[in-house]
Amino acid sequence: MPEAIYPTLVQCAIVAGAFKVLLFPAYKSTDFEVHRNWLAITHSLPIQNWYYEDTSEWTLDYPPFFAYFEWLLSQCARWVDPAMLRIDNLNYDSWSTVAFQRSTVILTELVLVYALHRITASSPTKPTTHTAALSILLSPGLLLIDHLHFQYNSLLYGLLLLSLHLAHRPRSLLPSALLFAALLCFKHIYLYLAPAYFVYLLRVYVLHPGSVVRIRLANAVKLGTGLLAVFAAAFGPFAYHGQIPQLLTRLFPFSRGLCHAYWAPNVWAMYSFTDRVLIFVAPYLGLQVDPDAVNSVTRGRVGDTAFAVLPPIHPRTTFLLTLTFMLIPLIKLFAQPTAANFHGALILCGYASFLFGWHVHEKAILLVLIPFSLLALKDRRYLGAFRPLAVAGHVALFPLLFTPHEFPIKVVYTVLWLVLFLFAFDRLAPVSPKGRVFFLDRFSVLYLAVAIPLICYCAVVHELVFGTRLEFLPLMFISSYSALGVVGSWLGFMVVYLAD
Amino acid sequence: MSSLNHNSHKPRRKSRELGSAASHGLLYTDPVTQEKKPLFPLVGFLGPAKVTISKWIIFPIILMVVGLFRWATTFWGYSGHQKPPMFGDFEAQRHWMELTIHLPVSQWYFYDLKWWGLDYPPLTAYHSWVLGKIGSLVNPSFFELDTSRGLESEELKVFMRASVLLSEYAVYIPAAISFMRRFSHSQGVGKWDFLIAVTAVLMQPATILIDHGHFQYNTVMLGFVLASMSGLMADNLLWSCVWFIAALGFKQMALFFAPAIFAYLLGKCVFPKFSFGRLVSIAVTTIVSFAILCFPLLLGSLYNYRRGLPLPTTATGTPPPPLLSDLPFDIPDGSAIYPFVLQLSQAHHRIFPFARGLFEDKVANLWCALHTFHKLHIYPSALLQHVSLALTLLLILPPCIILFLKPQRSSIPLAFATTAWGFFLASYQVHEKNVLLPLLPMTVLLSGSGGLALRLRSWIGFANILAAWTLFPLLNRDGLAVPYVVLTLLWAWLLGLPPVSWHLYLPGRRVVDEPGLHWAEAIIHSAFYIAMVGWHICEAFIAPPYNKPDLWVVLNVLIGAAGFSLCYTWCLGMLMVQSGYWRNPFLSKPKVKFQ
Repeated sequence: MPEAIYPTLVQCAIVAGAFKVLLFPAYKSTDFEVHRNWLAITHSLPIQNWYYEDTSEWTLDYPPFFAYFEWLLSQCARWVDPAMLRIDNLNYDSWSTVAFQRSTVILTELVLVYALHRITASSPTKPTTHTAALSILLSPGLLLIDHLHFQYNSLLYGLLLLSLHLAHRPRSLLPSALLFAALLCFKHIYLYLAPAYFVYLLRVYVLHPGSVVRIRLANAVKLGTGLLAVFAAAFGPFAYHGQIPQLLTRLFPFSRGLCHAYWAPNVWAMYSFTDRVLIFVAPYLGLQVDPDAVNSVTRGRVGDTAFAVLPPIHPRTTFLLTLTFMLIPLIKLFAQPTAANFHGALILCGYASFLFGWHVHEKAILLVLIPFSLLALKDRRYLGAFRPLAVAGHVALFPLLFTPHEFPIKVVYTVLWLVLFLFAFDRLAPVSPKGRVFFLDRFSVLYLAVAIPLICYCAVVHELVFGTRLEFLPLMFISSYSALGVVGSWLGFMVVYLAD
Repeated sequence: MSSLNHNSHKPRRKSRELGSAASHGLLYTDPVTQEKKPLFPLVGFLGPAKVTISKWIIFPIILMVVGLFRWATTFWGYSGHQKPPMFGDFEAQRHWMELTIHLPVSQWYFYDLKWWGLDYPPLTAYHSWVLGKIGSLVNPSFFELDTSRGLESEELKVFMRASVLLSEYAVYIPAAISFMRRFSHSQGVGKWDFLIAVTAVLMQPATILIDHGHFQYNTVMLGFVLASMSGLMADNLLWSCVWFIAALGFKQMALFFAPAIFAYLLGKCVFPKFSFGRLVSIAVTTIVSFAILCFPLLLGSLYNYRRGLPLPTTATGTPPPPLLSDLPFDIPDGSAIYPFVLQLSQAHHRIFPFARGLFEDKVANLWCALHTFHKLHIYPSALLQHVSLALTLLLILPPCIILFLKPQRSSIPLAFATTAWGFFLASYQVHEKNVLLPLLPMTVLLSGSGGLALRLRSWIGFANILAAWTLFPLLNRDGLAVPYVVLTLLWAWLLGLPPVSWHLYLPGRRVVDEPGLHWAEAIIHSAFYIAMVGWHICEAFIAPPYNKPDLWVVLNVLIGAAGFSLCYTWCLGMLMVQSGYWRNPFLSKPKVKFQ
């Protein structure tokens, strides 16, 4: 029996669980009401009405498996407080409803614990994997988004990691693929990672290892029927009622703007920031300024983003850019289809969609952060790319929670995590077999150093100096700063990935 | 993260440094897998600290973790939350900030006494003044005179909660670390064990729940007491006096420790050889610190007097305290010293309210327990006061005499705990929250020699769990039932205590050269734990009989009083054994000798 490492995953899960229970009465966003409403919809309506119901503005816009999951939860909710299952009972948040919904998040997190346990148990480098697993389990991102803001990401990322784990062994490729398909039917945001799965499965499972033109028919049939079965289980009932178009309009609302309410730290945040700066510089450069746009750039509101100086961005542009930057790692994956390359390509697909995508949520950074955590300890070059991402990704989540009571929680917890794990990672990451990139090291140190004054400014100084004026400024600083970190870490990781 | 077994691959010198006498007692060998495992989960959590001891990393991490648990507790209810007309402790503390920043010092102890009149010693008043000033910078409406009464805005709550946390981090935590470091060092305890003990002490459920849940500033007073104990550890007797006066000046309940500290200091002056100089310097330091403590209060009276302003009794309409007329000499109210005597006697009258009953509400001490079977209020109050004084003296004399005759550093926590238990059990006007006082010196024993081993851990754990349990009726009223369950179970789990783990009382997980618990100890503890769990089940699901609506609370008091009496007896017994006054095979000395 392998020697246990302390503290164990379960021990950490217990302490974290105690902490999360204490946070029950803390701030919850509208997502809490969203999920309560879904409980009500799935519980009280026949299945063919689920995607038509619109009493609440928070209509069901997740794929069917998630709706089934809510239905399952609603079967328990009935015994706790039936009032939460009434569709017209908008914004209902009795103590028992809060306790019930919060506990389901904690309980479903066990899926993540299980996935991490599987990953650690089979790892050849146990101490490092164990640390990486703990860093995911205790991730401030998951704490802030799931246990305060309210979502079920730990469950979904648990499924993703399980699928990723299965993909590392040739024998379990098929279950991995089916699990990922099921995950897509839980939440379609994982479509961003699908290209990596597609290329990897195609090359390793469907095509012959020796030649890329020969198809392994048995495998192709198995995979095809499997996928079909999964999707049929999810969408079948709705297809039967002829509701697929309605379902798709709910899942893909294309009427949204380029940037989300808060600016996700991506290329477009930097683009908007440049535009803002150019407003002041443009007169000297002789550039045209669109006067309408000067006061209308996304200021914490969902809507169309208008730029004052720079050319507007079309969805097609973002799509093409995303695709281009996905293709680079995918080509390498196709040429050298190893599990490690697959893992790297998956992360890079997450990066590309986060950095260049249309209407990206800041929460989507978890798509990169969580898979990357498992790879960060491969050697020091990976760690160098991971560090700015760990800082930027978490700092970018700060605007999600803006109430003063939660402020110490989000800041102290994140600082604790960064101190603990960046220190532990630094001790554990092995020396790289190849040369390190000088620039990357300096960049990550400098980057870390800037974070402290920036957070102080945004938390305290800005309000003291400007009061309620220029409210968007701290948000813009945070997202531009974080965007720099994410882009920096992306470039760094891309270089390491392609060089390996 | 690292494996615990890492140690075995290290050079020998290193391992001796890390794993001191008691240290190897924290791992046990699994009989099946022959693997070394931590004895209780907290050891596992600090496992990585065993090889990576950089205090610059480990201390910030511990402080952040305990801080997060404290802050998470603040999301729950507090004393008087949404309970008009009087609200509770939260409003009392807020009101003191309001009155100290708006009124002249001379009126602090006189102003509108019906609405949470100030009844804590002056240092609390100054502390409130500072916090009130800061709070008014944040938002002036927090502490508007009279109009802010009963304010419960979200912003105010965050401010008040933060003030408790910051006061604790300014006083209690440095003092706790300083005391435990000196204590563990003097007992030859290794760094790793020290870190484990620090974490355990800072996670103590009862303290977190009362200060950050119920809402009080106990940790400031407890911190000063620890600072004073730390001074004794370092033989800084004069500083110790100063800190102790600060503790008394913050909350009069620090008197629980006064006889012990007095006995120790006196013993230090007399043994091994009488030192008159030391005695005088201690006396002078104490008097001077006390004078400094009262100085602002008297300065306020002086200011009024020189300006010819009316006396506070006239200004606020509060009658002069009865104490003033009881004085053996008569002071005419026109005389120059009258304002000062009036001020001090009013403060004294407010701080020591003998007019109140023998015990407050339901508290797990001897009087309240006795009251269940034999109603005490039929006796005159003066008689009860005398009886309670006599019994208290009887209980605190043995530890104080031991401390006086043998003033050794290793006795300090046990003697302090015994004295405080004596007070808690038998003295006048005790609150259920006062259990934090005897608990503190008992819990810091974790950092001493053998502190994390079987016997001490089981008794310290027993006292802590029992104390938290006796606080449950109070916490439940404040809406703190969930944090109570979470924090208490978490602590029990971390330290390997029932009701989560029974390994202390079962054979099997035993470290080789460690004496086990006596079977009687195991049975008594187990009985108490079972009673506590059973009580919770009954309280939650069975309504008390119609004619005995307080049945569960009374049972809680009875069990609590019995358990605390045991704690008193155990502390006294250990103190006697350890100071060599009693050779008792039952309380056999641990293998590792106390110094």
